[in-house]
Amino acid sequence: METTESTETVVAGTVVAKTASAEPQRKRSETLYFALRNKKLVIGLSLVLFLLLFAIFGPMFTDKDPFEFYEAYGEPPSKEHWFGTTSPGQDVYAQFVYGLRSSFIVGAVAGCVAAAIGMAVGFAAGYRGGVVDEILTMLTNVVLVIPTIAVLIIVSAYLTVGSLLWEAVLIGVTSWPWAARAIRAQTFSLVSRDFVSLARLSGQSGWKIIVKEIAPNMSSYLFLTFILLFGGSILIAATLDFLGLGPVEVMSLGLMLNVSVSNSALQLGMWWWFVAPGVGITAIVAGLYVMNVGLDEVFNPRLRRT
Amino acid sequence: MSSRKTRRVGVVGLVASLVSLAVAASLMASGAGAGPQAAFAVPRNDTLYTSGKQWGPYTNFNPLKPDYNTGIVGLVYETLFRYDPLKDRFIPWLASNGKWSGRSKYVVTVRNGVKWSDGKPLTAADVKFTFETQKNTGAQYGTMWKTGLSRITTRGRTVTFHFRGVPNYQEWDSNRYTVPIVPRHIFRSYSARELVTGNASNTRRIVGTGPFRYGGGAGSSQTLQWTRRDGWWANAIGYRMPMRYIVDIHNTSNTASLQNFLQSRIDLSNNFFPGINRHVGRGVGTYYNRAPYMLAANTAWLVPNTTKKPLNDVNFRRALAESIDVNRIVVADYQRIVSKANPTGLLPTWSRWIDQAQVRRLGFSFSIARARSRLASNGYRDRNGDGFVEDKDGATINLRLIVPKGWSDWETAIQIIADSAKDAGIKITPAYPDFNALVEERNTGKFELVINNEKQIGNTPYTYYDYLFRMPILASQTVSNFHRFSSARTWSLAQQLNKIQSTNVAQAKRVHSAIQRVILQQLPAIPLWYNGMWAQYNTRYWSNFPTSTGNQATPSTWNGYLNMTGIDALAKLRKK
Amino acid sequence: MKWYLARKLLLYLLTFVVAVTIDWAIPRLMPGDPVSGLIARLQADPTAAQEMHGYYTESFGLDEPLWRQYLNFWLGLFHGDLGPSIAYVGSRVTDLIKTAIPYTLALLVPAIVLSYIAGNRVGAMAARRKVLDNTALPVSYVLTATPYMWLALVLAYIFAFRWQVFPVSGAYDFALQPEWSWEFAKSFLYHWTLPFLTLFLVSFGGWAIGMRNLIIYELEADYANYLQDLGAPNRLVRRYAYRNAVLPQMSGLALALGAVVGGALVTEIVFGYPGVGSLIITAIQNRDYFLLQGIFLFIILGVLIANFIVDIAYVIVDPRTRTGLQGS
Repeated sequence: METTESTETVVAGTVVAKTASAEPQRKRSETLYFALRNKKLVIGLSLVLFLLLFAIFGPMFTDKDPFEFYEAYGEPPSKEHWFGTTSPGQDVYAQFVYGLRSSFIVGAVAGCVAAAIGMAVGFAAGYRGGVVDEILTMLTNVVLVIPTIAVLIIVSAYLTVGSLLWEAVLIGVTSWPWAARAIRAQTFSLVSRDFVSLARLSGQSGWKIIVKEIAPNMSSYLFLTFILLFGGSILIAATLDFLGLGPVEVMSLGLMLNVSVSNSALQLGMWWWFVAPGVGITAIVAGLYVMNVGLDEVFNPRLRRT
Repeated sequence: MSSRKTRRVGVVGLVASLVSLAVAASLMASGAGAGPQAAFAVPRNDTLYTSGKQWGPYTNFNPLKPDYNTGIVGLVYETLFRYDPLKDRFIPWLASNGKWSGRSKYVVTVRNGVKWSDGKPLTAADVKFTFETQKNTGAQYGTMWKTGLSRITTRGRTVTFHFRGVPNYQEWDSNRYTVPIVPRHIFRSYSARELVTGNASNTRRIVGTGPFRYGGGAGSSQTLQWTRRDGWWANAIGYRMPMRYIVDIHNTSNTASLQNFLQSRIDLSNNFFPGINRHVGRGVGTYYNRAPYMLAANTAWLVPNTTKKPLNDVNFRRALAESIDVNRIVVADYQRIVSKANPTGLLPTWSRWIDQAQVRRLGFSFSIARARSRLASNGYRDRNGDGFVEDKDGATINLRLIVPKGWSDWETAIQIIADSAKDAGIKITPAYPDFNALVEERNTGKFELVINNEKQIGNTPYTYYDYLFRMPILASQTVSNFHRFSSARTWSLAQQLNKIQSTNVAQAKRVHSAIQRVILQQLPAIPLWYNGMWAQYNTRYWSNFPTSTGNQATPSTWNGYLNMTGIDALAKLRKK
Repeated sequence: MKWYLARKLLLYLLTFVVAVTIDWAIPRLMPGDPVSGLIARLQADPTAAQEMHGYYTESFGLDEPLWRQYLNFWLGLFHGDLGPSIAYVGSRVTDLIKTAIPYTLALLVPAIVLSYIAGNRVGAMAARRKVLDNTALPVSYVLTATPYMWLALVLAYIFAFRWQVFPVSGAYDFALQPEWSWEFAKSFLYHWTLPFLTLFLVSFGGWAIGMRNLIIYELEADYANYLQDLGAPNRLVRRYAYRNAVLPQMSGLALALGAVVGGALVTEIVFGYPGVGSLIITAIQNRDYFLLQGIFLFIILGVLIANFIVDIAYVIVDPRTRTGLQGS
């Protein structure tokens, strides 16, 4: 009954796995043409780019430190403090831009780690097949079923997570399975293609074929997967930070939310302290998702709406 | 085609409805099984809603085990005396009288006419039984049996406590108002282990002498409900509880509590609400109507490990103390709902024991300039130009200051401390290990600096002296002298004080003064601020809450506060 | 079919064993001694503390050799006993979880099922109608990207704090105790609305987008074009497309379960809803590892069962497996 092992899945609203398998090698200019005409891609990408630039250059516009205390307690946005201050007098703008930075770092690192594991497992299983596939698929399915957040909660409760990197790696290590599964399915369908058989006949090693033949043929797909992992990791990190299980030495949007909530910012009228981190997280992730669907449409002609 | 589709929805729908049904059934069943319940909603205007004490489930109904449910001691089980920390006096309660007979016998007369809620009279045997349970290993008040109490005898309504040698008067005084008297006819069926570690949670056997009886709620229920009972003995001496029900609300988060409080769903909240001062006067009351708003409940100390360099140097400790701008913590972190501590660290309630002249002479105060010059004159100089001083031998100084992760007000506090000490050239790095890791570091003396406030308000500063100076220093220090300050002489002074009765004012004051001199000069720990007895009142349904100008009582439902004057606070409330 | 389900069952069994082992191992591999933390919280005097330390170490079974502890863990599991709670000394972990679980299920199950049905419907409609596509879709994107806790906090602020149409926290009125009565049921429903809405809205967005994209994808498929060329009515084509799109959505459901469970945990925390999420946060705050372990196991168990239900539903819906079923 292998037929029911459906290869297509939907993650965060994106059709994964059906898309790229038949991807023809299109001309670059054509892709670009569709890319620029795709409203979703343009909106999503500009949102993400804007936030990224904000995260990179935002801190340069202020001489404030996110952990420094100023003599302005819970004051609304002003010339001196653009996004207002927290009740003990920290600068919300500084916290926000540094928090944004943390979000991108966590997303990128966790996304990379998860993508790397997912690719390694997915390629190996899909290319090798047989016993290797059985074992790896079993492993994937086992990790897949265990809810990431539950594992992370229990692990971070024991290990005091002291650094951003640590947190990102933990998230990456637990969130790869769906990617592995999808990549395996893709690889499966590519392995039977002529160009792969040809490469095999020419006596190339397995990993070489994967790197040189298979991966490039699903590069757009891998990119989409990475974007989803990126966005998902940001959400997970925000949840952990909000629960007080993330690092507290580094400013992050989730930590801001945690502190603003434990100080009842909203109830005491300090909306600026509460709104900034929430909007920040939502904007990054929404931007990524929209961009992802846009890219999906660009890479995959069938999804384009006439 | 369409039949297929309906089938799909049908399957999902069926599964969903089956699960929901099972959920609903188990929900109600779990509720229905939780013991005798009030089968009605309690009327709002006859109910006092409280919150802020209970963070875990309502598991522990055993008054002899620490961390019992809200109201167990005070509303149900009562003590021989109560202690009023605001007026520094003992109030005879289940004992109508108690006095020393000779030097080593304490004689209590059990009040006449007190009945347990099952109708049986309170007897001297109950009192004797209660105190004797504390001989069991691990019992909460077991120290008294190890430090002098030798036996208890009864005769009619009198109970006599016999001591070997000179009793520890100060410690004994606290036992007088903290040990809850339990009914012998019920508690004698519990084994020694159950008495120490059990929960006594059979709700039918919650039998006390106090004004309330069990109403409902247990385990992980949202609330614990107490119902006023008829025939409370104290009606005869003019006490009457105005509310028919007290419903304590289990805390989920401070934010949820604050929202419920501001919407008048909670009347008396003992939560920590930083920023509540913004609401004071607008339907919200506090003990003081201006800063610090709250009474002081305990002292937050900066505890240095005095066995580590450079914290073993008293001059360095003093410079450190002088470098910390506590006012910034008070204003920025707590928005003035706490106040700066006295240099002795003793609570305002003990002011009559504080030698103020000596404090003025020897006490430290915040001054970056003085801290700098003190450091310089004692050989702590910045040799490498990084802005921070090095040790006398040139070693870098970077002190790790820890608080438990997630204690957000303290996290902010130590950031301010580090920032403030920086100005004097002392490098402090804040760190936030998890609670267990912190306890381990603190108890075994691996830490460098830690914030601690575990000693609460009480009848005598002796508890603070014990906290600061207790000897001998063990491999693991669990409750006191975390700083590992070793001074046999001071400890013997504290012991001397323990054996002086508080009524012997002149003699007691001399010893107090001598001990305080050590605190001021040696700074075994650095007092920072007084943590508040957090209490805010929503005055929509009830009025006449304790205030500094009205009825002065401890407005708290925390454990140990009802048997101070929390009971008076409740009894004096008025329905609106 | 039988084979398929048997395979799945085996997988879940294996997953369970792995999860239990991880669950058991984590606390024992981590630094720090849970019993010391417990005693520190009790603030007992030193001699009593020492005695208590021995007592608790023994009663938690921490003094036995590791293999024995592992065995005991499994044995306890089969007896439905996950050990004593550290934070709430005297309660059993299983009992604490048992009272919390109905509340969590009452939130989760309707939220998952209803958001799935509604999301698919709206998504399918959006694929058809341009107007809806341009309004519902952007909203859906924002909803799926919103962290659960933030949406929960915003809803609580607007509906409970500002407008006061729903209660701020809890699962029933403070004046009540759980019981069989209309009054309780009404109060329960009233308190349930906002947390349910939080979960519903976030998941709804994801399903709507997914369905919309799948349908468009299917409509461009060869069979659809072929049908259209044959002159089949549009409605028929769309129905086929919908049916094909439901399958991937369903396997997506299994994938999404973990995320929704995570969402339910934080939502409960925000609303002070007395379910497993609130239990988790108290366990974290009190460093109650036994309780954490127990909750983790229950979550795994729940997710496994849910997965299995999805599998069965999948078999029933998927024509391919259905034919196989009839064949065998």
